[in-house]
Amino acid sequence: MKKVAALCLVFVLALALSLPAAASVPGELLIWSDGERAPVLTAVARKFVAEYGISVKIQELPFGDIRDNLAIVAPTGEGPDIIVGAHDWLGQLVTDGLIEPIDIEDPSLFVQSALDAFTWGGQYYGIPYAIESIGLFYNKDLVGEDGIGSFEELEELTKNELAPKGIYGLVLPQPDPYHTFPFFSVLGGYVFGFDEEGALNALDVGLANAGAVEGFEYFEKLLDEGVIARATPYDTMMSLFQNGQAATMMTGPWAFGDVRAAGVNYGFTQIPSYKGQFGKPFLGAQGFMVSAFSENKMLANIFLNEFVATKDTMLAIYEGDPRPTAFLPAAEIINEDPDMRGVMEAAEKATPMPQIPAMNSVWTAWSDAIELVINQQAAPKAAIENAVETIIQTIRDSM
Amino acid sequence: MAKLVKGVFLGILNVVFIWTALFLYSSEAYLVLVLLLLGAALVNFVFISERAYPYRYLLPAAFFMILLVVYPIVYTVYVSVTNYGTGNILTKEQVITQLQERRILDAEAGNYTYQAYRDGEGQLWFVFTGPQGELLLGHAGELTPVQEGDARLARLAEFTELARADLVRATNEISALSFALDEARQLQMRNINYFGVYRPQYQYSRERDELLDLESGIIYQPVLGYFQAPDGTRLTPGFREIIGFHNFSKLLTNPQVTGPFIRVFIWTVQWALLSVATTFSVGLFLAILLNDPHLRLRRFYRSVLILPYAVPAFISALIWRGLFHTELGVINRVLQATIGSGVPWLQDPVWAKVALVILNLWLGFPYMMIVCLGALQSIDVEMYEAALVDGASSWQQFRHITLPLLMVSVGPLLISSFSFNFNNFSVIYLLTRGRPPIVGAQTPAGHTDILISYTYRLAFESGRGVDYGLASAVTLVIFLITGAITFFNFRFTGALEEVRKNV
Repeated sequence: MKKVAALCLVFVLALALSLPAAASVPGELLIWSDGERAPVLTAVARKFVAEYGISVKIQELPFGDIRDNLAIVAPTGEGPDIIVGAHDWLGQLVTDGLIEPIDIEDPSLFVQSALDAFTWGGQYYGIPYAIESIGLFYNKDLVGEDGIGSFEELEELTKNELAPKGIYGLVLPQPDPYHTFPFFSVLGGYVFGFDEEGALNALDVGLANAGAVEGFEYFEKLLDEGVIARATPYDTMMSLFQNGQAATMMTGPWAFGDVRAAGVNYGFTQIPSYKGQFGKPFLGAQGFMVSAFSENKMLANIFLNEFVATKDTMLAIYEGDPRPTAFLPAAEIINEDPDMRGVMEAAEKATPMPQIPAMNSVWTAWSDAIELVINQQAAPKAAIENAVETIIQTIRDSM
Repeated sequence: MAKLVKGVFLGILNVVFIWTALFLYSSEAYLVLVLLLLGAALVNFVFISERAYPYRYLLPAAFFMILLVVYPIVYTVYVSVTNYGTGNILTKEQVITQLQERRILDAEAGNYTYQAYRDGEGQLWFVFTGPQGELLLGHAGELTPVQEGDARLARLAEFTELARADLVRATNEISALSFALDEARQLQMRNINYFGVYRPQYQYSRERDELLDLESGIIYQPVLGYFQAPDGTRLTPGFREIIGFHNFSKLLTNPQVTGPFIRVFIWTVQWALLSVATTFSVGLFLAILLNDPHLRLRRFYRSVLILPYAVPAFISALIWRGLFHTELGVINRVLQATIGSGVPWLQDPVWAKVALVILNLWLGFPYMMIVCLGALQSIDVEMYEAALVDGASSWQQFRHITLPLLMVSVGPLLISSFSFNFNNFSVIYLLTRGRPPIVGAQTPAGHTDILISYTYRLAFESGRGVDYGLASAVTLVIFLITGAITFFNFRFTGALEEVRKNV
């Protein structure tokens, strides 16, 4: 008798524990969000429930884990309906067959470059909420209120005023293609060209064209002249700028916290010009995407178009984590914050970072070329030409 | 008492089993479910039957052995013969479903507004208004053109008209509907406000296993995980498929892979040997010092010397990375102040290797020291007394007593340490990431890449994104190499056991 009772107890316990696992269920939305966006989405979800009686669950994941987890979980039918993500995931997610085109009701409400970033094969795959790019932090005490307009100006200033005091003109993370790209793009270099249909062509790598080489040679010149501090990883770069040993720093809005914490009298603006041209940094866009394995694709579209692409939600997203908004009706809020205005200015000059999976094979070879130049082991032209050959070979091999 | 503990333990275990089983049942993973139930039955049998007593201890070990060692190996072998990676993660069925669901919007046909009604039986009725104002009555997949004032429209007044909120709640139902406009085109939900005119893009034929593009008439056939047109155009997404030894042949024939292989292999062996040799000699040296009874504060020294082992390796590695910085690092500043010139630690191929060995020495010597301390304690003091009587010098004592006896217990550890360092990804990756790059190299391999870090690059920096299939193939090759080396090493220690007999 006792045994039977014990067994019953075991069964009851087991049943109580067998709660339903979170998954895309028809008639109920599940969103994978990062921590910054989750509180905003939770509030929006409450409105959606109140309006339509359809429940929306928010599951919090670290931003960087969302893409990889989607690839593992979605095909088993356990995944979400909507994810928060970055535009450069697009290529991988689309070729994997994991996300679905989105019907954006009014594209004119969004910053064009953000829409471009979320476009693949002529279709929108995401509703963007923020854009960002790197720009120039400058120390007002060292270069003046208005910052630096051109690299030529920075060179002069370093030679005449900063260098004698042992201060570097510019610091940036090295070797880091992402941060060095403006030197390549300023005179016409690009990562991937476009084919006739307007899609990125993985076999047209423009990192070693005449403009790119000239820009890269200028980068080397700045290193040799001591304008740019040599071989600084991110944290070294940061401490040089924080301690006033570098007058300007090329990096993105994620650095605001560290710079403010150090009490530097700083400004943020777009990257200086060279020969009258502005180097385009990479644009990053973040947005919401719909899973191809969602059981509620239409519902997800309604939720995103009616409840997320609104001024209120976009402002709340901005307040939760200030990054330049990709939603034009909310854009005026940026004017209240000089930092954000600077980021917006920089982002307007930016070009979307290529989203195609072939980008994966660009970084290392490119970074190696930059490192060889920093280490003075190769000339810019030879290094980058060799890197481009390697990149094209790697991409061709995997086709 | 023991019985009670056993009962409670078994009870809890069964709760976990049942919970997992219910979960598996609800997610329709029947194969795993059967395996779980078999496992549960086995566990219960082992715990209830007195005869199966020894298995109570063997079973968990076997379970974890299968779970953590055998299963990953089997799975790696499986993945190495597939094309699993970016673009090929879905099953063929999933890809066919997705491609068949693709539809082309006929933009010129315009948008159809609609009203939806639900009759007494819960069936949906629609009235569509076309771009030219034409009216269509839709029900059960069929469209009937109607005129204003038609009796059939009047009937709808008896049904419940769906308000916007009702439409939103019914989107899943409505978006699954499709009304045949003519032979090729369908009226389907475009968004909550409109229906649009769509044509399906592909048609799959199960008998012929091919996909027909209804627009262009091109036939796509499955080739190596993609539906491929005769001209080589591939449709994405691709699917996951067994492609045989394709990955291995790619490994053997691709100059980008085979080119640096020998060079990377030689450095890997050098690296593993140097790591073991340096950590062992320093560890042994310190152990002998600490083993000297005349040394004061022995415990203190021992604790301090173990510290590098206690600090997580990735923290130490990052600190060392800072110390080695050519211009700003402490090491070079000290060198500059004393001998007047620094060393290009992470830029020069040779110095980068030296830096790696130094870092690994820092991380690894405490382990060797602990091991040697223990082994030294076990050597019989009488042997040294006998040696003293025979007039042996301390070097002779070390050479003929300490070292051979130490090797008996430490030898196998040295071999495992060798295998460990052979695949010591984290130290390489944290300090140098395989760099510095090789001037003029056509491959992504750097000067300090070992096989495992090179594999990582091949797998995660391939032109198509991530290539798990190729990575698994390389992993298996590395596994075979490490396995062979370890095998020969153990033969070598077998010889050492002979030495013990002679002592």
